[in-house]
Amino acid sequence: MNDQGVINGLEAELTGILGSENVMPCPSSLVIDGIHTQLCVEPGTTQEVADVLRVANDRKLTVIPAGGFTSQGYGNIPPRADLVLRTTRLSGIVHYDAGDLTIGVRAGTRVANVQNAVAEHRQVFAMEAPRASRATVGGALATASHGPRKHSAGGVREFCVGLEFVTGDGQIAKAGGRVVKNVAGYDLMKLLIGSHGTLGIITSANFRLMPAARRTATFLAEFKTIGEAIAFRERVMKSPLSPIFLELISPFTEGVSGQSPQAWTVAIKAGGSDAVLARYRGELGADLSRELRDAHEAALWSSVVEFPATMLQLNQRAMLLDVHMPAASVEAALTEAEKAATAHGFIFSAVGRAAVASLTLALNPLPGDPPSVTQYVNALSAIRAACPADGAVIVRNCPGEVKMHIEPWGSAREIESMRRVKRTLDPNDVLNRGRFLP
Amino acid sequence: MSFSEVISQMQALLGAQHVLHRPEDLMLYEYDASVDKGMPGAVVFPSTTDEVAALVRLARKSGVSIVPRGAGTGLSGGSISRDQGIVIVFTRMNRILEIDVANRRAVVQPGVVNLDLSAAVARYGLYFAPDPSSQKACTIGGNVAENSGGPHTLAQGVTVNHVTGIEAVLGTGEVARFGGKCIDTYGYDLTGYFTGSEGTLGIVTEITVKLVRKAETVATLLAIYNTVDEGANTVVEITSEGITPTALEMLDGLTLRTVEEATHAGYPMDSGAVLLVELEGLREEVEEQAALVRGVCMRNGAREVRRAKNETERALLWKGRKNAFAAIGRLAPSYYTQDGVVPRSKIPQTLRYIAEVSKKYGLTIANIFHAGDGNMHPAILFDLRDPDQLKRTVAAGADILAYCVSLGGSITGEHGVGMEKNALMPLLFNETDLEVMHRLHDAFNPGVLNPQKVFPTPRSCRETGSASIPPELRSRP
Repeated sequence: MNDQGVINGLEAELTGILGSENVMPCPSSLVIDGIHTQLCVEPGTTQEVADVLRVANDRKLTVIPAGGFTSQGYGNIPPRADLVLRTTRLSGIVHYDAGDLTIGVRAGTRVANVQNAVAEHRQVFAMEAPRASRATVGGALATASHGPRKHSAGGVREFCVGLEFVTGDGQIAKAGGRVVKNVAGYDLMKLLIGSHGTLGIITSANFRLMPAARRTATFLAEFKTIGEAIAFRERVMKSPLSPIFLELISPFTEGVSGQSPQAWTVAIKAGGSDAVLARYRGELGADLSRELRDAHEAALWSSVVEFPATMLQLNQRAMLLDVHMPAASVEAALTEAEKAATAHGFIFSAVGRAAVASLTLALNPLPGDPPSVTQYVNALSAIRAACPADGAVIVRNCPGEVKMHIEPWGSAREIESMRRVKRTLDPNDVLNRGRFLP
Repeated sequence: MSFSEVISQMQALLGAQHVLHRPEDLMLYEYDASVDKGMPGAVVFPSTTDEVAALVRLARKSGVSIVPRGAGTGLSGGSISRDQGIVIVFTRMNRILEIDVANRRAVVQPGVVNLDLSAAVARYGLYFAPDPSSQKACTIGGNVAENSGGPHTLAQGVTVNHVTGIEAVLGTGEVARFGGKCIDTYGYDLTGYFTGSEGTLGIVTEITVKLVRKAETVATLLAIYNTVDEGANTVVEITSEGITPTALEMLDGLTLRTVEEATHAGYPMDSGAVLLVELEGLREEVEEQAALVRGVCMRNGAREVRRAKNETERALLWKGRKNAFAAIGRLAPSYYTQDGVVPRSKIPQTLRYIAEVSKKYGLTIANIFHAGDGNMHPAILFDLRDPDQLKRTVAAGADILAYCVSLGGSITGEHGVGMEKNALMPLLFNETDLEVMHRLHDAFNPGVLNPQKVFPTPRSCRETGSASIPPELRSRP
C-alpha cells in the first residue's frame, strides 16, 4: 500500500475509535522543524489514548504527543511523523483538596487554569511555564518546565505525587498516588517527567500545593559584572535568608520588565510580614538598588517566566538553550558563553535560577549580519565546552537548518540505561521516534 | 555451581575474612528492625564497586540471589534474604568521598551513617536533611534504597528530594552512573527512579546528596489536648494559616502516657493527645509563626502550649517522640506498626476508625504519627503466644490499611513495601500498573537482586500456608 493508502486506512480506524469529529487533518500551525504530519487526533479519555496508541503500535507508526504546542522546539528533527495526538480534550481539575494541599488534574488542562484555581484559596501550584494560558500540565511535566519558583519549591519532580500515563504499546498505568508521602511501588513519575513524550503519554497527574505567602516584596541588586552578581548571590546563600525566588538576569534581556538593560541583576523575592521584609533589607544592605511591590513585582516575575517565549517572538532565528550546572560553575560558564556568543555574531542574554543553576540562554542573531549555520554550530560547541560535564546544555529552540548540524541534547551519558527504559515502555518506538534517543 | 563453590569464589575475590558463611556468624543478619526473618546463605563485605559488580556477576552465573544491606534498621524486610542468598553489607564502603561546600553537595559511599554525614558537614553550617528515627545507625545507601523519610521531611522532603546522583551496579552486573551534582540534567531521571526502588533494580555504590543550610532559628512547641480530634483539627488549620512547619508530630493519649512513664518528657498523664510543632527560619519569621501556631492550638481546644526555651528543653520535648516506639514495647509482648498514609484532613476520621478497629478486634492500638503529611503509625499491641490475638492483629492491620487506601491514601509512607506489604500492593495498583512496573524491573534486574520483594508474587509466603501472617509477627520476640 502506498503512503496515502496507509493514511486512509489509519484514518478510518481512528475514526472508529474517536468519532470523525476528533480525527482531523493536522493544522499547518502544528509543524515541527518543517515536518508536516498528516493526521491529528484528540482523544477524550485515557482509554481512547490507549486505543489510539495500540493502533499506532500495531502499525509501527510514530505519534507526536502535544499539548498547547508551546515547547515542540526540543529534540532532533522527527525522522517521521504519522500522527499528532493532542491532549486538548483531556482537560479539567479532577479533585482539589484545599485542606490537604493536593490537586489532581487531567493532562490537557492549561497550566494557568490550575494556577488561578488554587490562587483563590491562597495556595500556590508551583508549576511554571511560558505561555501558561496555552501550555498544558502534561506538556510542562513532559518537558520538566520550570521557572523562578524552582529556587524554593524545586522542579516538578519534587511536587508531582502521582501520574497516570499510557505506554507506547497502549497500556494504561499509574504510579504514586494522591497523598504527599508515599513510597509504594516504583516512582515512575521521575521517569515520565522530562521524558519529552518519549516514554508514555501522561493523561493525568496529582500534585502537592504550597500555601501562598501573605505579603511579598522583590529586591533588586544590579551589578556591572557577572562576577559581582555571583559574589552577591554567594552572600545571600550564606545568609540566614531563605528567599522564594533567587534569580540572575543578564544585560540585554529585552522584555524582562523593570530591569536595567546594562546590568547583571540579582532579583530576590521574599515573603513575610513587614518585620521579615525589613530583615531582608538589613541583610542585603547597600547592594540593593530597588524594591518592587504589587503590579511591578508581578510584571517582573511574569516576564522572567516568559523570557524564552519573548526571545523567540523577538527573533524566530534565536537559539535558546536550557543549561544546568553546579552552582559554583555559573560565573565561569556564563562568562565563556557570553564571549562565544558575541564572537559568533550573537547578542547574548541569560535568565535563570541563580542558586539552583538552571538557566535559559538566548543567542539572538545580530541584525544586519546574521550568523551562518556554522556560527550557530560553533557558538553552541563553545558554550558546551564551557559547561561542566555533569551539567547539560540542551537546545530548546533553533532554526531548522541549524538543527540538522547539531546534537540538541548534547550528551550521550547514561544512554544504555535510557535505551533500556525506552525499549521497555515503548518497544516499537512509537512515541516521538528519533527526537530524543538516537 | 554448588553453593560451596560460590563461597570459595567469593573468598578468592574478597579475602576469606570478608565472607561469612557459618550459621553462627550469619544469625546477626537474619533480622532487620521489623524483625522480619530469613537466614542468608552467606554475608559478604566488599570494599569497592568493582567487587560489588563481580559479586553480582557471580550471583547471576550461579543463580544465587543477592540482597544489599545497610545497618539493618529497615522496617519492611527489605534487607533480608528470602531464599538463603548472599547478603552484601557495606561496612567497608563507609567513606565520605567528597564534601563540596561551594556546590552544597557530598559524595558518599553507601555505608556512611546518616547522622555521621551531618556531623561531618556541621562545621560549614550544613546538614543532610532526611532524618529517619534510626539516623544514628542507618546508612545513606539504605536511605536511598527505601527513600526514607523522618519527622523533618514535612518541609524538607524525603530522600529522593536530596539525591542528585548515584553510581549503581545493575542487576545485570554492569556499573552505571546517573546524574551528578546538578539538580537537573538531560534525559530520563534515572537517579530519581532508582531512589526508593528497594534494591530491586541495582545496588547503589556511590551517592551524591544535597546539603542544606541550618536555619537561624528553631522553635519547638508542644500543644496538649484533651482529645485527639482537637489535635488533628489543629494540623489542618495550621496549614490554612499558610504555615509549613518543619515537623508536626502527634501522640495519642495511650502513647503519651506510656512515653511519659518511660522517658519523663513532661507530658500530662491525663491528656488525650500531644502535638509537637517545629518551626524553622528567620528569627522574625519563626516568632510570628510561633504566635500564630499558638493561637491555632488554643482555638482548637489546647489546654496548654509549651515552648522549648533552649536546646535542652527542645531535646526533652523530642525525647518523648523519638523514644515512643521503644516505650510502647513496654506495654505488650509484641506490637505491629503500620505505615499507612491518609490526606491530612482525614486524620480525625482515620483516628476514629482506628478506635473502632481497636474495639472490633479487641486489641489495644497506640497512635504515633507524622500528622503534617498524614503518615499514620498505629501500633497494634498483642501477645504473640496467643494465636487468636495474632490472627486478629493481622486482620486489624489490613483493615486499617484498606481504610487508608479507601480515603485516597497509601499502604506505606516511608517504611517501604519490602516483604512485609508486597501482598497488599494490589490495594493500590491494578494488574496493568504492576505489569508495567515489572517490565521496568526486568529491564534492570533479570532476577538476581532482592527477589520476592515489592511485587506480589505467587512465591510470596503470604500466599502459602502459614501465610497471612506478616513475617515480623512470626518473629517478634
